[in-house]
Amino acid sequence: MTGKRRLFHAFGVVSITLASLATITTSSGASGSGTIAKGQPVLIGASLSLSGDFSGDGDAFQQGYKLWAADQNKKGGLLGHKVDLKIISDASSPTQVVTNYQALISTFHVNLTFGPFSSLLTLPAATAVNRYGYAMVEGAGGAPSIFNAGLHNVFDAALPVANGLVPFAKWLAALPASRRPKTIAYATSTDPFTEPQIPVAEKIIKAAGIKTVYYKTFPAEPSDYTTIADAVAATNAQVVILGSVDVPTVSAFMQAFEQAHYNPKAFIATAGPDQGKTFLSAVGSGNSNGVMVPNAWYGGSSNPESKTMVAEFIKKYGGTPSEVNADVAEAYAVGQVITAAVKATGGFNNAKIITYLHSGVTIQSVLGAVKFNSLGENNQPTAYTFQWQGSKFVEVNPATDPSATKILFPKPAWKN
Amino acid sequence: MNGTAVLHSIIDGVLTGSVYALMATGLTLIFGVMNIINVAQGIFVILGAYLSYALSVHLGIDLFVGLAITIPTLFVVGIVVERVFLSRIKGPERVVMSILVTYAISLVIEGVLNIVFSANYVELHAWYVNRSVRVFGIYLPYIYLLGFALAVVLLGALYIMLYRTRFGASVRASLSDQTSAALVGINVRRVSTVCFGLGVAVTAAGGMIYGATNAFNASSSYDLISRLLVIIVLGGMGSIGGALVAGIMMITIEDLVSVVWGPVWSNLAFFLILVAVLSLRPQGLFGKPSVRVA
Amino acid sequence: MLKARNVWWILALVALVLFPLIETNPTYTTIGIFTLIFMGCATSWNMFSGYSGYINLGSAVSYGVGAYTMALLADHLHVPGNGDLFWLIPVGGLAAMIVAVPVGLVALRVRRHTFVVITIAIFFVFQLSAINFSFTGGTSGLQLPLIPWLETNYNKPFYYSALAITVFAALLSVAVRRSRFGLQLLAIRDDEDRAAGLGVKVFAVKLAGFTMSAFAVGMGGALYAVFLGQIYPQFVFDPIFDISIALMSIFGGLGTLTGPLLGALVLESTQQYLTIRFSNGSLYLIVFGALFLVIVLFMPQGIVVYLSDWRSRRAARRVEGARVVVGEAS
Repeated sequence: MTGKRRLFHAFGVVSITLASLATITTSSGASGSGTIAKGQPVLIGASLSLSGDFSGDGDAFQQGYKLWAADQNKKGGLLGHKVDLKIISDASSPTQVVTNYQALISTFHVNLTFGPFSSLLTLPAATAVNRYGYAMVEGAGGAPSIFNAGLHNVFDAALPVANGLVPFAKWLAALPASRRPKTIAYATSTDPFTEPQIPVAEKIIKAAGIKTVYYKTFPAEPSDYTTIADAVAATNAQVVILGSVDVPTVSAFMQAFEQAHYNPKAFIATAGPDQGKTFLSAVGSGNSNGVMVPNAWYGGSSNPESKTMVAEFIKKYGGTPSEVNADVAEAYAVGQVITAAVKATGGFNNAKIITYLHSGVTIQSVLGAVKFNSLGENNQPTAYTFQWQGSKFVEVNPATDPSATKILFPKPAWKN
Repeated sequence: MNGTAVLHSIIDGVLTGSVYALMATGLTLIFGVMNIINVAQGIFVILGAYLSYALSVHLGIDLFVGLAITIPTLFVVGIVVERVFLSRIKGPERVVMSILVTYAISLVIEGVLNIVFSANYVELHAWYVNRSVRVFGIYLPYIYLLGFALAVVLLGALYIMLYRTRFGASVRASLSDQTSAALVGINVRRVSTVCFGLGVAVTAAGGMIYGATNAFNASSSYDLISRLLVIIVLGGMGSIGGALVAGIMMITIEDLVSVVWGPVWSNLAFFLILVAVLSLRPQGLFGKPSVRVA
Repeated sequence: MLKARNVWWILALVALVLFPLIETNPTYTTIGIFTLIFMGCATSWNMFSGYSGYINLGSAVSYGVGAYTMALLADHLHVPGNGDLFWLIPVGGLAAMIVAVPVGLVALRVRRHTFVVITIAIFFVFQLSAINFSFTGGTSGLQLPLIPWLETNYNKPFYYSALAITVFAALLSVAVRRSRFGLQLLAIRDDEDRAAGLGVKVFAVKLAGFTMSAFAVGMGGALYAVFLGQIYPQFVFDPIFDISIALMSIFGGLGTLTGPLLGALVLESTQQYLTIRFSNGSLYLIVFGALFLVIVLFMPQGIVVYLSDWRSRRAARRVEGARVVVGEAS
């Protein structure tokens, strides 16, 4: 057993080395309380999922954050300080996201923090950031659980999730009886983002006398979507509401619908169709026609802020306004909220920023007006429904909105 | 729910399951011959799908024609990986070590794919992908029929190779007992290398069908590998026929449960059945009764 | 008498105790907490899987049960957001043990290869149940009370709790290794049939080992839940956890005492550290994967055995083969 002694030796040496190494290389302390020396940049930190489950959205968020920083720097930065972004990857892991935000604050000494992607990571991230008194403005954590956590520092610039489908549901209910569909099918994946949306819509739709012929939840990553889609197709429902979080789910359903020669009169998915080019290329040209998605923003928005951003985006990454991922705008809006708060408070003091954002002010962003309630939800934006019409992504309701295009109903046949 | 729906779900299960079987075959072959659990199989599937994607988008090559390029390419990739890394693993903990090594390989490939293709989801397209044919009132998608046919052809070819050729005899000898095989003059090393190459090569076909029926990115490999492992254990590790039956069985069970009780219970029911089957038949459906000791 | 090896143990412990006092940057104490949780869980996992050779790839069942027990009890007992929560950590461990009994009764009826997959399957049954049943909060998960401590001292109680779990797991592991019970587990690893023939009550021994190893893992899960403040089914019943624990132990040296400790220490801390330092997620994957590959190929028996071999070769050279050093792992 003598060999063992050496091993303990090794173990001890490693621990001590690690302990001393870490001590030498770091200095601790947050920089969230305010002033930045003249000529120094303002450092903003975010953790994004650049690999793993959420990497598709993580990439788009990164584009949005970077685009905002570049634009803001062109305008002279924040209060004369150049904006530097520090983005690190969390590989879609909640453990890593917690470490990352502490590293951003304590090791990289960021002055402000932006949120990660997905409701699942936002809550652990915000809880950690909260300890340092930092505000966390985010654009991708709209699940109700976030706002029920009792955190005072989270601000979600995007649309609160639960009411997303309301305009669509109201539009269905308001159709004249002769045109109103008779049956509807609901299929939703098990996810805190999708599940709360469906009952809200169903209540309105049921009251209008539209019969629910299918209402099932399916696992987040089923081995085979075809059977679920075929079961929906077999009901021949005239409308389908799909609770999806990503492009693969929507494209799998669309493929199976087409293969089953089933074409609902209206088809709306909670997320996926808002992913611009990624969505178009996944579902194939022409097939997107008539597909709808609830959201607060689209690339063709007449909002001047949004127009500028879209132009910048196209200059940098190419494409058309319709191909811009909504994630980009949600990330960009996060930057705008911070810009407004920094300007209004005249500094980078997070406590002041939190107070300011809770004060009921209205901030203009690419997503439209942003105003936070006491929970940090943005209750200002109206939910819109968007629809793919040809290769264009357009706003179709609420119909009262002057910029709304006429809805394509019933949905045209599948293309290829 | 009615008879047609049940029948439909069984057909869906058989068609989709055969594609999973195709992906799992390589895994079970590799394990059977080499005692290696190749957890990189999931990322190889995705690599195959991306190769098909690149050929079809940039060169306009049809998905099935492209297999003539992607299958040999992955064969070579497999040979290189085996020669450079896996052949170095020796000793009593071979199975366990192989998991570590192939896991590390899959991390590296995932990183490279992310850089080359970005994390945006893509899907393979061809004129037949969204089409279907109506048989007895049920629409059968071409892509699944083609995938099924491809699985049958490739598994058939693999079968002929294993049972009708000299090389196959060596492989089978190695499958049953490496030491004895070496004693009768079989070059077990060469057999292992070629088998790993073959096991990886079939993922090109599986990956192409997967990519045509699912939007994917490099991270999709994680979902794949856990399913593939479960399939080969259910079928009996090392049994190619077992992988085919288990792949089809797994998806069919899930699809049936999905139609009869609801999709949310499908995975749960499947795993409960798996636990039950393995409790009664630990070697899997077609496994040899005496499980090899690692 | 203080033996030399005990000195090194004590020094290592002292270093770990002093770490958060010297290194006050929460980034590193946070990495420390996660690393210690993994060290404790891996050691406890190794106490069964490493000793008996039954690789359990469903250890996240214990982790998740511990986490959910913590969250549910905190809610039902209205435990406020303060240090009181920490008293529930052992309860989480206990719950994990209770759950491990029926799981073991099912899973341990089969031999090794099948055991690996049965544990994976049972793991998924638990994860999917947590998603599908309502008392677990479904996909929205469960919230824990917010603890209003300042960031300067926030990490310390968590760090020392994680350290306590690790020390407990290590002591238990040593005690088991030295006991008759431990020898029986090792006998099962070497040849189960022969062990049975020699009168070892194989099934009972395996079940006892399996259940005992669930305790520290459950405590780790409970601590994790409090530290993160909220749990989601896919993050506490996490397949990555199953694999990580096994990888760390194997990487360090399966079935050895120090292997899992060292494996978890090296892997978890470098992984967390590298992720922070690489802003490019894909590049990080490549670097981490390549490093991992190189180390595994150079030390195919795990770090501990490698070091021990290297040491013994050196020692052998030094005293010209006068001393025979026996490596720990078989």
